[in-house]
Amino acid sequence: MVLPLLIVVLLACAALAGWALWFVVQDRAVILKQLFGAAVVEGLVVVQAIVAGVLMAQGHPVDGPLFWGYVATALVVLPVAAIWAFAERTKWSSVVLAVAALTVGFLDWRLWQIWGAA
Amino acid sequence: MSPAAPRTGSGFGRLLVTVYGVLAFAAIGRSSYELATKFSEAPVAYSLSTLSAVVYVLATVALAKGGPHWRVVAWVTVGFEAVGVLAVGAASVASPDVFGETTVWSGFGQGYGYVPLVLPFVGLWWLWRTRPRGAAAAAPEPAVPADPDPEVR
Repeated sequence: MVLPLLIVVLLACAALAGWALWFVVQDRAVILKQLFGAAVVEGLVVVQAIVAGVLMAQGHPVDGPLFWGYVATALVVLPVAAIWAFAERTKWSSVVLAVAALTVGFLDWRLWQIWGAA
Repeated sequence: MSPAAPRTGSGFGRLLVTVYGVLAFAAIGRSSYELATKFSEAPVAYSLSTLSAVVYVLATVALAKGGPHWRVVAWVTVGFEAVGVLAVGAASVASPDVFGETTVWSGFGQGYGYVPLVLPFVGLWWLWRTRPRGAAAAAPEPAVPADPDPEVR
């Protein structure tokens, strides 16, 4: 993993969570544009995973199973949460999206810790 | 309060299921990692992790699905978690290395921001709040409550 990419992912997660929370305040449900936003975050996590994979192949030491387990979880959370959120047409869908975005941000932070630990 | 059939997975329940789902993923990840890499080091702790993962998954599905049967499953699994986190939490505090290693429920779910401690009680409250009220739903409190599943409480 590289620091600039970590910061980009964390900012993207924060932005998505903020957008969703703004909708909660306004008592609005998740809209399609926000799902595109979630897709952007997802794409960034995929890029990050590819970069990490390349660095690992070049010899960066890391607890592989633990790291990829977190990557897998981080990649699953947003799509599942997005579908689950979109099916509900109340403000609670926005709460769900916000929680999912914050979860991905947290998982990404854990990935950074795991990356540096080995 | 929604009128006829309160859904466990709608409204606030949508958030509850989400948090349950996240915890289920966390527990699955943790237990599969432990089983794959170091099961023999602390079989009791890692078996407990696996059991809690299965229970979280069941609870998530049950809360999401709703229906009469799933509601029973939800009561049982969420109740099991409440008992589990209290029992394992208390045991881990009384005797820190009783399980050989930490589990999801050690220190009352400390490693997960105490979410495992709070969640089952929120879940039980939500199940009670969304319980089916029978035909006399509008009446204040029927003399004989039409409780479809009296065996689970």
